[in-house]
Amino acid sequence: MNTERTILPFPCASNSGRRRTLSKDLLVALRASSSPVIVSVPGCCSLNQQDIDLLLDCVAQAAGRDTQVLFVAGSLAIRVLLEVTRIASVAPVFNSVTEALAYPQMSALNDTKAQTVNESQQCWSA
Amino acid sequence: MGIHEARPYAAGVFENPRSFYFTYSTRMPVLGNNILQSWIERVRKLGVQSLWLTSDARSGGLAGSALGELAGQGVERLLVIKLKSYAEMDLTDLLRFHCERRNPVTEAQDSRGQLGVCLLDHRALHASGEKRESSAVDCGRIPYQFSGYAKRIQSASERQELVGDALTGGCAMRPAGTQIREQVWVVEGVSLSDSVRLVGPTYIGARTIVRAGATIGPFTSVESDCVVDCGTTVEPSTVLPHTYLAPGLLIRHGLVDGGQLEDLTWGTVADLQPAGLGSTIQRRESRRPNLIPALRETVPNAFSGADGSVVWDFAASSSASQPWLRVRL
Repeated sequence: MNTERTILPFPCASNSGRRRTLSKDLLVALRASSSPVIVSVPGCCSLNQQDIDLLLDCVAQAAGRDTQVLFVAGSLAIRVLLEVTRIASVAPVFNSVTEALAYPQMSALNDTKAQTVNESQQCWSA
Repeated sequence: MGIHEARPYAAGVFENPRSFYFTYSTRMPVLGNNILQSWIERVRKLGVQSLWLTSDARSGGLAGSALGELAGQGVERLLVIKLKSYAEMDLTDLLRFHCERRNPVTEAQDSRGQLGVCLLDHRALHASGEKRESSAVDCGRIPYQFSGYAKRIQSASERQELVGDALTGGCAMRPAGTQIREQVWVVEGVSLSDSVRLVGPTYIGARTIVRAGATIGPFTSVESDCVVDCGTTVEPSTVLPHTYLAPGLLIRHGLVDGGQLEDLTWGTVADLQPAGLGSTIQRRESRRPNLIPALRETVPNAFSGADGSVVWDFAASSSASQPWLRVRL
């Protein structure tokens, strides 16, 4: 299985053809890669209903798979919309592609830290 | 702004509709309370019999020519209140301080700066009138240090702090309506679905509809005439009047005004409307951009005056773009 990261640009306010292309590309990437697939939403001012539907479709496609989908919000306004729609509750959201690329490492680091904290708490309580 | 016609005082309250970033109006209620009305009550305690209201879209200052007119009419002192803060201020004490110090201008301020309340005497009025377009700010002010409770209502985050304080008894303001259980206030005409979860402290304004599965609170204010649709969660946030929120949303640490959401954590504004996540509920009557009807709505008692106790009208103003509205107290 391919371990290279796939970065897919999100077609903001685009036509249905480009939306279908993203859907198809995402499905291919999720099947082919063991690494998280990054969907990068550019810093557009807002998202319309079709954009939200497509983002939810991305989340749905990744559901139940070993491969995660990660979102990059190109602006704080987009990040707020991802939180409001609860997309950020079911998929990790980052401010930049660089952050998203570092995600597994960051995640592993955080897991290690959490584990250390838990262990120290156990020691304390013991 | 309001200017009192009876001597020796003149009092004014005015709204500066320009807020810093997110242009919600300072006329918007806080937990069903009207900030303008609260200032009017404080002015009334001074024994003032009428005041003038105006909206100045230019700079939040009064035109020098207007001040000159007042000086010409023999006004001894002018109290100017810019509607940019809620402050539990004893205006009598401000007046006493002003008189004792014999200042031309006394500006009220707290540790964070000016509160938008100042007193000018006839010297300052004359000086401003002669300088024409100069505002009273130029007149050399001596500050009146206010140490009581004050919040700026033009900042969404401070406004949210005011909501939190009023819900928890941290200030004198109390939520309107009835307390249906501990720290939960509801105003008449509210429609709550059986499965709605209200987490105190929280406030639901008049005629608001909260649909099935929604969660409101804690530290949340949903003002009047809103609709919160199924499954939406609103927590540490304010929803301003006439706002519709779509199903399944998560509004956290935000201020929603129709289709706009200001995130209080990041200080950014997101447009909910294109995605159909939020919108303004149109009122039954047509939209009224004019200042005077808007103020009529803001000060309902001032205009109901069938008994003749309260009168409103346009006053002769030095500028047509700055109409004044007289309210008799």
